[in-house]
Amino acid sequence: MTVDKKAALAAAELARLELSPEEGGELGEKLVEDFTKIVGYMDILNEIDTSLVEPLYSPMTDPEEPRKDVPRDEEAGAEKARSILEKGTRVSGHFFTVPRVV
Amino acid sequence: MDKALCSLSLEEARKGLLRRDFTAFELVESLLRRIRETEPALNACLAVFEDESLKQARAMDESGPDPSKALWAVPVTLKDVYNLQGAPATAGSRMLKDYLPSYEATVVKRLREAGAILIAKTNLDEFAMGSSTEFSAYGPTRNPRNLAVVPGGSSGGAAAGVAAGQAPGAFGTDTGGSIRQPAALCGCVGLKPSYGRVSRYGIIAYGSSLDQAGPLARTVSDCGRLLSAVAGPDGLDSTCSRRPPEDYVNLKEKAPGSLTLALPRELWEASFHPAVKETLDGALELLKAAGVGLKTVSMPALRYSVAVYYILAAAEASTNLARYDGARYGYRAEKYGDLSDMYKKSRTGGLGREVRRRILLGTFVLSSGYYDAYYKKAAQARRLIRDEYLKTLEEADFILAPVSSIPAWPFGSFTEDPLTQYQLDIMTLPLNLAGGPGLSLPCGEGSDGLPVGVQLMGEPFKERSLLEAGLALERMFPKPPDITRSPLTLPRG
Repeated sequence: MTVDKKAALAAAELARLELSPEEGGELGEKLVEDFTKIVGYMDILNEIDTSLVEPLYSPMTDPEEPRKDVPRDEEAGAEKARSILEKGTRVSGHFFTVPRVV
Repeated sequence: MDKALCSLSLEEARKGLLRRDFTAFELVESLLRRIRETEPALNACLAVFEDESLKQARAMDESGPDPSKALWAVPVTLKDVYNLQGAPATAGSRMLKDYLPSYEATVVKRLREAGAILIAKTNLDEFAMGSSTEFSAYGPTRNPRNLAVVPGGSSGGAAAGVAAGQAPGAFGTDTGGSIRQPAALCGCVGLKPSYGRVSRYGIIAYGSSLDQAGPLARTVSDCGRLLSAVAGPDGLDSTCSRRPPEDYVNLKEKAPGSLTLALPRELWEASFHPAVKETLDGALELLKAAGVGLKTVSMPALRYSVAVYYILAAAEASTNLARYDGARYGYRAEKYGDLSDMYKKSRTGGLGREVRRRILLGTFVLSSGYYDAYYKKAAQARRLIRDEYLKTLEEADFILAPVSSIPAWPFGSFTEDPLTQYQLDIMTLPLNLAGGPGLSLPCGEGSDGLPVGVQLMGEPFKERSLLEAGLALERMFPKPPDITRSPLTLPRG
Protein backbone atom coordinates (compact mmCIF):
# COMPACT_ATOMS: atom_id res chain seq x y z
CA MET A 1 0.00 0.00 0.00
CA THR A 2 1.44 3.38 -0.88
CA VAL A 3 1.02 6.00 1.75
CA ASP A 4 1.32 9.65 0.94
CA LYS A 5 1.63 12.90 2.77
CA LYS A 6 -2.15 13.20 2.89
CA ALA A 7 -2.44 10.02 4.96
CA ALA A 8 0.30 11.24 7.29
CA LEU A 9 -1.45 14.56 7.77
CA ALA A 10 -4.77 12.84 8.42
CA ALA A 11 -3.14 10.64 11.09
CA ALA A 12 -1.49 13.72 12.61
CA GLU A 13 -4.87 15.41 12.87
CA LEU A 14 -6.34 12.35 14.59
CA ALA A 15 -3.35 12.18 16.95
CA ARG A 16 -3.61 15.91 17.72
CA LEU A 17 -0.07 16.55 16.56
CA GLU A 18 1.19 19.39 14.41
CA LEU A 19 3.37 18.47 11.51
CA SER A 20 4.07 21.09 8.91
CA PRO A 21 6.78 23.67 9.60
CA GLU A 22 4.31 26.53 9.19
CA GLU A 23 2.26 25.00 12.00
CA GLY A 24 5.33 25.10 14.22
CA GLY A 25 6.08 21.37 14.33
CA GLU A 26 9.80 21.19 13.70
CA LEU A 27 10.96 18.81 10.98
CA GLY A 28 7.45 18.13 9.77
CA GLU A 29 8.66 17.11 6.33
CA LYS A 30 11.21 14.68 7.72
CA LEU A 31 8.55 13.11 9.90
CA VAL A 32 6.35 12.51 6.86
CA GLU A 33 9.25 11.08 4.88
CA ASP A 34 10.18 8.65 7.68
CA PHE A 35 6.53 7.77 8.09
CA THR A 36 6.03 6.76 4.48
CA LYS A 37 9.25 4.76 4.51
CA ILE A 38 8.29 2.89 7.68
CA VAL A 39 4.74 2.18 6.51
CA GLY A 40 6.14 0.97 3.20
CA TYR A 41 8.33 -1.52 5.06
CA MET A 42 5.26 -2.93 6.87
CA ASP A 43 4.04 -4.32 3.54
CA ILE A 44 6.39 -7.26 4.19
CA LEU A 45 3.40 -8.70 6.10
CA ASN A 46 1.56 -9.21 2.79
CA GLU A 47 3.86 -12.18 2.21
CA ILE A 48 1.98 -14.26 4.77
CA ASP A 49 -1.50 -15.65 4.57
CA THR A 50 -3.19 -14.97 7.89
CA SER A 51 -6.77 -15.42 6.73
CA LEU A 52 -7.38 -18.31 9.15
CA VAL A 53 -5.34 -16.96 12.06
CA GLU A 54 -7.02 -15.54 15.16
CA PRO A 55 -5.35 -12.24 16.14
CA LEU A 56 -3.27 -12.29 19.34
CA TYR A 57 -3.70 -8.98 21.12
CA SER A 58 -2.09 -9.99 24.41
CA PRO A 59 0.11 -12.88 25.53
CA MET A 60 -1.76 -13.02 28.85
CA THR A 61 -3.24 -16.44 29.59
CA ASP A 62 -4.38 -16.26 33.20
CA PRO A 63 -5.17 -12.67 34.09
CA GLU A 64 -6.21 -11.47 37.53
CA GLU A 65 -9.88 -11.64 38.36
CA PRO A 66 -11.40 -8.23 37.74
CA ARG A 67 -11.99 -6.54 41.07
CA LYS A 68 -15.31 -5.05 42.07
CA ASP A 69 -15.74 -1.43 41.08
CA VAL A 70 -16.06 -0.10 44.62
CA PRO A 71 -13.99 2.53 46.36
CA ARG A 72 -11.46 0.87 48.65
CA ASP A 73 -10.81 3.77 50.94
CA GLU A 74 -12.98 6.77 50.34
CA GLU A 75 -11.05 9.09 52.59
CA ALA A 76 -7.73 8.25 50.94
CA GLY A 77 -9.46 8.55 47.57
CA ALA A 78 -10.64 12.06 48.35
CA GLU A 79 -7.15 12.98 49.50
CA LYS A 80 -5.72 11.57 46.28
CA ALA A 81 -8.22 13.56 44.21
CA ARG A 82 -7.13 16.71 46.05
CA SER A 83 -3.48 15.92 45.44
CA ILE A 84 -4.12 15.31 41.75
CA LEU A 85 -5.94 18.62 41.44
CA GLU A 86 -3.19 20.42 43.31
CA LYS A 87 -0.67 19.20 40.75
CA GLY A 88 -2.91 20.05 37.80
CA THR A 89 -1.64 22.18 34.95
CA ARG A 90 -4.41 24.82 35.28
CA VAL A 91 -7.00 24.39 37.97
CA SER A 92 -9.96 26.37 39.22
CA GLY A 93 -11.71 25.00 42.30
CA HIS A 94 -12.51 21.36 41.63
CA PHE A 95 -11.95 21.67 37.90
CA PHE A 96 -9.19 21.59 35.34
CA THR A 97 -9.56 24.61 33.11
CA VAL A 98 -9.31 24.52 29.33
CA PRO A 99 -10.34 26.95 26.58
CA ARG A 100 -14.09 27.44 26.23
CA VAL A 101 -15.77 24.88 24.01
CA VAL A 102 -19.33 26.19 23.91
CA MET B 1 37.86 -0.65 52.42
CA ASP B 2 35.10 1.90 51.75
CA LYS B 3 36.54 2.43 48.31
CA ALA B 4 35.54 -1.12 47.37
CA LEU B 5 31.93 -1.07 48.56
CA CYS B 6 30.67 0.24 45.23
CA SER B 7 32.26 -2.78 43.54
CA LEU B 8 30.34 -5.37 45.53
CA SER B 9 27.72 -7.43 43.79
CA LEU B 10 24.25 -7.27 45.27
CA GLU B 11 24.68 -10.65 46.95
CA GLU B 12 28.06 -9.65 48.41
CA ALA B 13 26.65 -6.34 49.63
CA ARG B 14 23.70 -8.07 51.25
CA LYS B 15 25.87 -10.62 53.02
CA GLY B 16 28.28 -7.94 54.22
CA LEU B 17 25.38 -5.87 55.56
CA LEU B 18 23.87 -8.81 57.41
CA ARG B 19 27.27 -9.71 58.91
CA ARG B 20 27.78 -6.06 59.78
CA ASP B 21 31.10 -6.00 57.94
CA PHE B 22 30.07 -2.47 57.04
CA THR B 23 27.02 -0.33 57.71
CA ALA B 24 24.19 0.52 55.35
CA PHE B 25 25.30 4.14 55.74
CA GLU B 26 28.82 3.32 54.54
CA LEU B 27 27.48 1.39 51.57
CA VAL B 28 25.09 4.15 50.52
CA GLU B 29 27.79 6.77 51.03
CA SER B 30 30.18 4.83 48.81
CA LEU B 31 27.62 4.51 46.03
CA LEU B 32 26.64 8.17 46.25
CA ARG B 33 30.30 9.10 45.98
CA ARG B 34 30.62 6.88 42.92
CA ILE B 35 27.53 8.51 41.43
CA ARG B 36 28.97 12.00 42.01
CA GLU B 37 32.28 10.91 40.50
CA THR B 38 30.80 9.30 37.36
CA GLU B 39 27.74 11.41 36.60
CA PRO B 40 29.53 14.24 34.81
CA ALA B 41 30.67 11.66 32.26
CA LEU B 42 27.68 9.30 32.23
CA ASN B 43 24.43 11.22 32.77
CA ALA B 44 22.85 7.95 33.88
CA CYS B 45 20.71 9.47 36.64
CA LEU B 46 17.80 11.89 36.36
CA ALA B 47 17.41 12.20 40.13
CA VAL B 48 19.63 11.13 43.04
CA PHE B 49 18.05 10.79 46.48
CA GLU B 50 21.11 11.61 48.59
CA ASP B 51 19.52 12.83 51.81
CA GLU B 52 16.65 10.33 51.84
CA SER B 53 18.96 7.37 51.15
CA LEU B 54 21.43 8.33 53.86
CA LYS B 55 18.62 8.95 56.32
CA GLN B 56 17.04 5.60 55.55
CA ALA B 57 20.41 3.84 55.81
CA ARG B 58 21.08 5.40 59.21
CA ALA B 59 17.67 4.32 60.50
CA MET B 60 18.25 0.78 59.23
CA ASP B 61 21.66 0.63 60.89
CA GLU B 62 19.99 1.61 64.15
CA SER B 63 17.26 -1.01 63.91
CA GLY B 64 19.75 -3.70 62.85
CA PRO B 65 19.89 -6.19 60.00
CA ASP B 66 16.77 -8.12 59.06
CA PRO B 67 17.69 -11.27 57.11
CA SER B 68 14.00 -11.99 56.42
CA LYS B 69 14.00 -9.08 54.00
CA ALA B 70 15.25 -10.08 50.55
CA LEU B 71 16.94 -6.73 49.94
CA TRP B 72 17.67 -5.40 53.42
CA ALA B 73 19.47 -2.03 52.97
CA VAL B 74 20.44 -2.90 49.41
CA PRO B 75 20.61 0.22 47.22
CA VAL B 76 18.73 -0.03 43.94
CA THR B 77 17.99 2.43 41.12
CA LEU B 78 14.72 2.78 39.20
CA LYS B 79 14.24 3.72 35.58
CA ASP B 80 12.33 6.99 35.53
CA VAL B 81 9.05 5.37 34.47
CA TYR B 82 8.28 4.04 37.94
CA ASN B 83 5.94 6.16 40.00
CA LEU B 84 7.53 6.98 43.31
CA GLN B 85 5.91 9.46 45.66
CA GLY B 86 7.76 12.66 46.41
CA ALA B 87 9.90 12.61 43.26
CA PRO B 88 9.09 13.47 39.66
CA ALA B 89 8.49 10.64 37.19
CA THR B 90 9.58 12.20 33.90
CA ALA B 91 9.74 9.16 31.58
CA GLY B 92 12.61 11.09 29.98
CA SER B 93 10.08 13.48 28.50
CA ARG B 94 9.62 17.21 28.58
CA MET B 95 5.91 16.40 28.84
CA LEU B 96 6.36 15.08 32.39
CA LYS B 97 9.17 17.36 33.57
CA ASP B 98 7.24 18.47 36.64
CA TYR B 99 4.93 15.50 37.06
CA LEU B 100 4.73 14.36 40.67
CA PRO B 101 2.87 11.04 40.93
CA SER B 102 0.09 10.76 43.48
CA TYR B 103 0.62 7.03 43.92
CA GLU B 104 3.40 4.45 43.85
CA ALA B 105 4.10 1.57 41.51
CA THR B 106 3.60 -1.94 42.92
CA VAL B 107 7.27 -2.65 42.13
CA VAL B 108 8.29 0.34 44.26
CA LYS B 109 6.03 -0.71 47.11
CA ARG B 110 7.43 -4.25 47.06
CA LEU B 111 11.02 -3.02 46.90
CA ARG B 112 10.38 -0.90 49.98
CA GLU B 113 8.81 -3.87 51.77
CA ALA B 114 11.86 -5.97 50.88
CA GLY B 115 14.06 -3.34 52.56
CA ALA B 116 15.68 -1.84 49.46
CA ILE B 117 17.03 1.71 49.51
CA LEU B 118 15.96 3.54 46.36
CA ILE B 119 18.92 5.78 45.63
CA ALA B 120 18.31 7.20 42.16
CA LYS B 121 16.07 7.34 39.12
CA THR B 122 17.75 6.58 35.84
CA ASN B 123 17.75 8.03 32.35
CA LEU B 124 15.95 6.48 29.38
CA ASP B 125 14.75 7.11 25.87
CA GLU B 126 11.62 9.22 26.12
CA PHE B 127 8.69 7.02 27.20
CA ALA B 128 11.03 4.02 26.74
CA MET B 129 10.90 4.44 22.96
CA GLY B 130 14.39 3.87 21.63
CA SER B 131 17.43 1.66 21.87
CA SER B 132 20.22 4.14 22.61
CA THR B 133 19.01 6.55 25.34
CA GLU B 134 19.68 9.32 22.82
CA PHE B 135 15.98 10.19 22.75
CA SER B 136 15.88 11.39 26.37
CA ALA B 137 14.77 14.98 26.73
CA TYR B 138 17.46 15.28 29.43
CA GLY B 139 20.44 14.43 27.25
CA PRO B 140 21.91 11.05 26.31
CA THR B 141 23.60 8.64 28.72
CA ARG B 142 27.11 7.53 27.81
CA ASN B 143 28.42 4.00 27.89
CA PRO B 144 30.85 3.58 30.83
CA ARG B 145 32.94 1.11 28.82
CA ASN B 146 33.57 3.70 26.14
CA LEU B 147 32.18 7.20 26.57
CA ALA B 148 32.05 7.79 22.82
CA VAL B 149 29.31 5.21 22.28
CA VAL B 150 25.70 4.75 23.38
CA PRO B 151 24.79 2.55 26.35
CA GLY B 152 21.85 1.03 24.45
CA GLY B 153 18.32 1.59 25.57
CA SER B 154 15.79 2.33 26.52
CA SER B 155 16.99 1.40 30.05
CA GLY B 156 20.40 2.90 29.21
CA GLY B 157 20.81 4.79 32.48
CA ALA B 158 20.05 1.64 34.47
CA ALA B 159 22.61 -0.46 32.57
CA ALA B 160 25.32 2.22 32.50
CA GLY B 161 24.89 2.83 36.24
CA VAL B 162 25.10 -0.85 37.16
CA ALA B 163 28.17 -1.44 34.98
CA ALA B 164 29.90 1.67 36.36
CA GLY B 165 29.30 0.80 40.02
CA GLN B 166 26.62 3.39 40.80
CA ALA B 167 24.41 0.62 42.20
CA PRO B 168 24.57 -3.16 42.44
CA GLY B 169 21.07 -3.52 40.98
CA ALA B 170 18.52 -1.60 38.96
CA PHE B 171 15.01 -1.90 37.67
CA GLY B 172 14.23 -1.18 34.06
CA THR B 173 11.42 -2.07 31.69
CA ASP B 174 11.53 -4.11 28.50
CA THR B 175 8.95 -3.57 25.75
CA GLY B 176 11.09 -4.70 22.81
CA GLY B 177 14.51 -5.32 24.35
CA SER B 178 14.93 -2.31 26.62
CA ILE B 179 16.44 -4.32 29.48
CA ARG B 180 18.33 -6.99 27.54
CA GLN B 181 19.98 -4.79 24.90
CA PRO B 182 21.47 -2.08 27.19
CA ALA B 183 22.61 -4.86 29.56
CA ALA B 184 24.45 -6.46 26.63
CA LEU B 185 25.95 -3.19 25.35
CA CYS B 186 27.16 -2.19 28.82
CA GLY B 187 28.35 -5.66 29.84
CA CYS B 188 25.90 -6.56 32.59
CA VAL B 189 23.05 -9.00 33.14
CA GLY B 190 19.41 -8.16 32.39
CA LEU B 191 16.25 -10.17 32.90
CA LYS B 192 12.97 -9.59 31.11
CA PRO B 193 10.40 -11.62 33.01
CA SER B 194 7.40 -13.23 31.31
CA TYR B 195 4.57 -10.90 30.46
CA GLY B 196 2.38 -10.86 33.58
CA ARG B 197 5.10 -11.98 36.02
CA VAL B 198 5.61 -8.50 37.48
CA SER B 199 2.86 -5.95 38.02
CA ARG B 200 2.81 -2.98 35.66
CA TYR B 201 0.74 -0.90 38.09
CA GLY B 202 2.26 2.55 38.46
CA ILE B 203 4.70 2.20 35.59
CA ILE B 204 4.29 4.81 32.86
CA ALA B 205 2.93 2.82 29.92
CA TYR B 206 4.32 2.49 26.41
CA GLY B 207 2.95 -0.73 24.84
CA SER B 208 0.66 -2.38 27.35
CA SER B 209 0.66 -5.89 25.86
CA LEU B 210 4.47 -5.84 25.63
CA ASP B 211 5.80 -3.82 28.61
CA GLN B 212 7.38 -5.77 31.43
CA ALA B 213 9.41 -4.63 34.43
CA GLY B 214 12.62 -6.43 35.29
CA PRO B 215 16.04 -6.21 36.93
CA LEU B 216 19.58 -5.46 35.75
CA ALA B 217 22.63 -6.40 37.83
CA ARG B 218 26.20 -7.61 37.46
CA THR B 219 25.39 -11.29 38.10
CA VAL B 220 22.65 -13.76 37.23
CA SER B 221 21.87 -14.59 40.86
CA ASP B 222 21.53 -10.89 41.69
CA CYS B 223 18.84 -10.64 39.01
CA GLY B 224 17.09 -13.61 40.61
CA ARG B 225 17.08 -11.96 44.02
CA LEU B 226 15.76 -8.68 42.59
CA LEU B 227 12.98 -10.53 40.76
CA SER B 228 12.04 -12.42 43.92
CA ALA B 229 11.26 -9.14 45.66
CA VAL B 230 8.75 -7.93 43.06
CA ALA B 231 7.24 -10.92 41.21
CA GLY B 232 3.74 -12.21 41.79
CA PRO B 233 0.05 -11.45 41.50
CA ASP B 234 -1.24 -7.92 42.01
CA GLY B 235 -4.90 -7.06 42.25
CA LEU B 236 -4.09 -3.60 40.89
CA ASP B 237 -2.96 -4.91 37.48
CA SER B 238 -5.49 -7.11 35.74
CA THR B 239 -2.85 -8.28 33.25
CA CYS B 240 -0.65 -9.60 36.06
CA SER B 241 -0.72 -13.39 36.29
CA ARG B 242 -2.36 -15.17 39.21
CA ARG B 243 0.38 -17.81 39.23
CA PRO B 244 2.43 -17.75 42.43
CA PRO B 245 6.08 -16.83 41.83
CA GLU B 246 8.81 -19.50 42.02
CA ASP B 247 11.88 -19.39 44.24
CA TYR B 248 14.36 -17.24 42.30
CA VAL B 249 16.94 -17.06 45.12
CA ASN B 250 17.98 -20.63 46.02
CA LEU B 251 18.99 -21.56 42.49
CA LYS B 252 20.68 -24.76 41.41
CA GLU B 253 23.05 -24.27 38.50
CA LYS B 254 22.18 -26.53 35.58
CA ALA B 255 24.73 -29.06 34.34
CA PRO B 256 25.93 -27.93 30.89
CA GLY B 257 25.59 -31.47 29.54
CA SER B 258 21.89 -31.48 30.42
CA LEU B 259 21.12 -28.42 28.31
CA THR B 260 19.86 -28.29 24.75
CA LEU B 261 19.66 -24.86 23.19
CA ALA B 262 17.84 -23.99 19.98
CA LEU B 263 19.66 -21.51 17.73
CA PRO B 264 17.24 -19.85 15.30
CA ARG B 265 18.88 -19.64 11.89
CA GLU B 266 16.98 -16.43 11.12
CA LEU B 267 18.85 -14.64 13.92
CA TRP B 268 22.24 -16.37 13.86
CA GLU B 269 22.62 -15.94 10.11
CA ALA B 270 21.93 -12.22 10.22
CA SER B 271 24.59 -9.79 9.12
CA PHE B 272 26.89 -9.09 12.08
CA HIS B 273 29.59 -6.57 12.82
CA PRO B 274 32.87 -8.57 12.64
CA ALA B 275 33.77 -7.84 16.27
CA VAL B 276 30.39 -9.17 17.40
CA LYS B 277 30.59 -12.16 15.10
CA GLU B 278 33.96 -13.31 16.38
CA THR B 279 32.83 -12.97 20.00
CA LEU B 280 29.62 -14.91 19.35
CA ASP B 281 31.56 -17.65 17.54
CA GLY B 282 33.89 -17.86 20.54
CA ALA B 283 30.90 -18.14 22.89
CA LEU B 284 29.40 -20.98 20.84
CA GLU B 285 32.74 -22.81 21.00
CA LEU B 286 32.75 -22.47 24.79
CA LEU B 287 29.24 -23.87 24.99
CA LYS B 288 30.12 -26.81 22.77
CA ALA B 289 33.30 -27.53 24.72
CA ALA B 290 31.26 -27.60 27.94
CA GLY B 291 28.92 -30.18 26.46
CA VAL B 292 25.87 -27.98 25.85
CA GLY B 293 23.72 -29.33 23.04
CA LEU B 294 23.29 -26.75 20.28
CA LYS B 295 20.57 -27.28 17.72
CA THR B 296 20.06 -25.03 14.72
CA VAL B 297 16.36 -24.47 14.14
CA SER B 298 14.30 -22.53 11.68
CA MET B 299 11.74 -19.98 12.89
CA PRO B 300 10.52 -18.39 9.64
CA ALA B 301 7.96 -16.09 11.28
CA LEU B 302 10.80 -14.15 12.95
CA ARG B 303 11.29 -12.39 9.62
CA TYR B 304 8.11 -10.44 10.35
CA SER B 305 8.82 -9.48 13.93
CA VAL B 306 10.08 -5.95 13.23
CA ALA B 307 6.98 -5.06 11.20
CA VAL B 308 4.64 -6.76 13.69
CA TYR B 309 6.27 -5.13 16.69
CA TYR B 310 6.38 -1.61 15.31
CA ILE B 311 2.73 -1.78 14.26
CA LEU B 312 1.49 -3.15 17.59
CA ALA B 313 3.79 -1.16 19.86
CA ALA B 314 3.05 2.06 17.99
CA ALA B 315 -0.70 1.37 18.09
CA GLU B 316 -0.58 0.77 21.83
CA ALA B 317 1.65 3.81 22.34
CA SER B 318 -0.69 6.08 20.40
CA THR B 319 -3.53 4.97 22.67
CA ASN B 320 -1.57 5.17 25.91
CA LEU B 321 -0.07 8.54 25.12
CA ALA B 322 -3.42 10.07 24.17
CA ARG B 323 -3.66 10.98 27.86
CA TYR B 324 -0.96 13.61 27.45
CA ASP B 325 -3.25 16.38 26.30
CA GLY B 326 -2.03 19.29 28.38
CA ALA B 327 -5.41 19.51 30.11
CA ARG B 328 -4.87 17.79 33.45
CA TYR B 329 -1.18 17.32 34.10
CA GLY B 330 2.10 17.51 32.29
CA TYR B 331 3.26 20.17 29.86
CA ARG B 332 0.81 22.73 28.52
CA ALA B 333 1.85 25.09 25.73
CA GLU B 334 2.20 28.75 26.68
CA LYS B 335 0.08 30.03 23.81
CA TYR B 336 -2.86 28.40 22.10
CA GLY B 337 -6.25 29.16 20.58
CA ASP B 338 -9.16 26.78 21.02
CA LEU B 339 -9.22 23.43 22.81
CA SER B 340 -8.01 21.43 19.81
CA ASP B 341 -5.16 23.88 19.33
CA MET B 342 -4.24 23.52 23.01
CA TYR B 343 -4.00 19.73 22.60
CA LYS B 344 -1.93 20.01 19.44
CA LYS B 345 0.49 22.65 20.70
CA SER B 346 0.94 20.95 24.07
CA ARG B 347 1.53 17.52 22.54
CA THR B 348 3.79 18.80 19.79
CA GLY B 349 5.80 20.91 22.24
CA GLY B 350 5.92 18.34 25.06
CA LEU B 351 6.70 15.17 23.11
CA GLY B 352 9.96 14.50 21.30
CA ARG B 353 10.43 13.56 17.69
CA GLU B 354 10.67 9.77 18.09
CA VAL B 355 7.62 9.65 20.34
CA ARG B 356 5.61 11.74 17.87
CA ARG B 357 6.78 9.48 15.06
CA ARG B 358 5.47 6.38 16.86
CA ILE B 359 2.19 8.05 17.84
CA LEU B 360 1.68 9.04 14.23
CA LEU B 361 2.37 5.51 13.02
CA GLY B 362 0.14 3.99 15.69
CA THR B 363 -2.72 6.36 14.95
CA PHE B 364 -2.41 5.53 11.27
CA VAL B 365 -2.49 1.73 11.70
CA LEU B 366 -5.54 2.02 13.95
CA SER B 367 -7.43 4.40 11.71
CA SER B 368 -10.46 3.41 9.71
CA GLY B 369 -9.49 1.99 6.33
CA TYR B 370 -6.07 0.77 7.54
CA TYR B 371 -6.95 -1.14 10.71
CA ASP B 372 -7.41 -4.54 9.04
CA ALA B 373 -4.44 -4.23 6.72
CA TYR B 374 -2.00 -3.25 9.47
CA TYR B 375 -3.15 -3.61 13.06
CA LYS B 376 -5.24 -6.75 12.72
CA LYS B 377 -2.80 -8.33 10.30
CA ALA B 378 0.07 -7.69 12.71
CA ALA B 379 -1.89 -9.20 15.60
CA GLN B 380 -2.49 -12.30 13.47
CA ALA B 381 1.19 -12.54 12.59
CA ARG B 382 1.96 -12.12 16.30
CA ARG B 383 0.12 -15.36 16.97
CA LEU B 384 2.27 -17.12 14.37
CA ILE B 385 5.42 -15.78 16.06
CA ARG B 386 4.18 -16.82 19.51
CA ASP B 387 3.14 -20.32 18.36
CA GLU B 388 6.46 -20.84 16.63
CA TYR B 389 8.30 -19.71 19.77
CA LEU B 390 6.41 -22.18 21.99
CA LYS B 391 6.81 -24.98 19.48
CA THR B 392 10.58 -24.44 19.31
CA LEU B 393 10.70 -24.82 23.09
CA GLU B 394 9.13 -28.26 22.79
CA GLU B 395 12.32 -29.38 21.05
CA ALA B 396 14.88 -27.59 23.20
CA ASP B 397 15.21 -26.31 26.76
CA PHE B 398 15.84 -22.72 25.73
CA ILE B 399 16.31 -20.57 22.67
CA LEU B 400 19.72 -18.94 22.44
CA ALA B 401 20.16 -15.78 20.38
CA PRO B 402 22.47 -12.79 20.06
CA VAL B 403 21.18 -9.57 21.65
CA SER B 404 22.51 -7.08 19.10
CA SER B 405 24.13 -7.58 15.72
CA ILE B 406 26.40 -4.59 16.27
CA PRO B 407 28.36 -3.33 19.28
CA ALA B 408 27.40 -0.11 21.07
CA TRP B 409 27.49 2.56 18.37
CA PRO B 410 28.74 6.15 18.22
CA PHE B 411 26.18 8.81 19.09
CA GLY B 412 24.03 10.00 16.23
CA SER B 413 24.61 6.95 14.02
CA PHE B 414 20.93 6.22 13.43
CA THR B 415 18.98 9.18 14.75
CA GLU B 416 18.17 10.29 11.20
CA ASP B 417 17.37 6.79 9.98
CA PRO B 418 14.64 5.35 12.21
CA LEU B 419 13.80 2.35 10.02
CA THR B 420 17.37 1.05 10.19
CA GLN B 421 17.38 1.54 13.95
CA TYR B 422 14.07 -0.38 14.23
CA GLN B 423 15.49 -3.22 12.14
CA LEU B 424 18.42 -3.55 14.55
CA ASP B 425 15.89 -4.60 17.21
CA ILE B 426 15.09 -7.89 15.45
CA MET B 427 17.04 -9.95 18.00
CA THR B 428 15.04 -8.76 21.00
CA LEU B 429 11.51 -8.01 19.74
CA PRO B 430 10.25 -11.58 19.23
CA LEU B 431 10.40 -12.35 22.95
CA ASN B 432 8.03 -9.49 23.82
CA LEU B 433 5.64 -10.55 21.08
CA ALA B 434 5.66 -14.12 22.45
CA GLY B 435 5.44 -13.00 26.10
CA GLY B 436 8.24 -15.27 27.35
CA PRO B 437 11.10 -14.56 29.76
CA GLY B 438 14.60 -13.74 28.54
CA LEU B 439 17.98 -13.38 30.21
CA SER B 440 20.74 -11.36 28.58
CA LEU B 441 24.28 -11.95 29.78
CA PRO B 442 27.77 -10.97 28.65
CA CYS B 443 29.62 -13.59 26.59
CA GLY B 444 32.88 -11.77 25.98
CA GLU B 445 34.18 -8.64 24.35
CA GLY B 446 35.05 -7.91 20.75
CA SER B 447 38.40 -6.79 19.39
CA ASP B 448 37.04 -3.24 19.74
CA GLY B 449 36.87 -3.76 23.51
CA LEU B 450 33.10 -3.49 23.64
CA PRO B 451 30.98 -6.12 25.40
CA VAL B 452 28.83 -8.59 23.50
CA GLY B 453 25.82 -10.38 24.95
CA VAL B 454 23.69 -13.41 24.30
CA GLN B 455 20.17 -14.09 25.50
CA LEU B 456 18.49 -17.22 26.70
CA MET B 457 14.75 -17.36 26.17
CA GLY B 458 12.44 -19.83 27.84
CA GLU B 459 8.90 -20.93 28.41
CA PRO B 460 6.56 -18.38 29.96
CA PHE B 461 6.69 -18.37 33.78
CA LYS B 462 9.77 -20.57 33.97
CA GLU B 463 12.12 -17.84 35.17
CA ARG B 464 13.68 -20.10 37.77
CA SER B 465 14.85 -22.62 35.22
CA LEU B 466 16.02 -19.76 32.97
CA LEU B 467 18.15 -18.31 35.77
CA GLU B 468 19.58 -21.75 36.59
CA ALA B 469 20.67 -22.20 32.99
CA GLY B 470 21.99 -18.63 33.07
CA LEU B 471 24.25 -19.54 36.01
CA ALA B 472 25.83 -22.30 33.91
CA LEU B 473 26.47 -19.96 30.96
CA GLU B 474 27.77 -17.22 33.23
CA ARG B 475 30.41 -19.62 34.52
CA MET B 476 31.51 -20.56 30.99
CA PHE B 477 31.80 -17.09 29.49
CA PRO B 478 34.58 -14.61 30.25
CA LYS B 479 33.57 -11.98 32.77
CA PRO B 480 33.50 -8.38 31.53
CA PRO B 481 36.29 -6.24 33.03
CA ASP B 482 35.32 -4.69 36.37
CA ILE B 483 34.97 -0.94 35.80
CA THR B 484 33.21 -0.13 39.06
CA ARG B 485 36.24 1.84 40.28
CA SER B 486 37.64 3.05 36.98
CA PRO B 487 37.87 6.78 36.42
CA LEU B 488 35.44 7.88 33.72
CA THR B 489 36.58 11.02 32.06
CA LEU B 490 35.00 12.71 29.12
CA PRO B 491 36.83 12.68 25.81
CA ARG B 492 38.26 16.09 24.98
CA GLY B 493 36.52 18.33 22.51
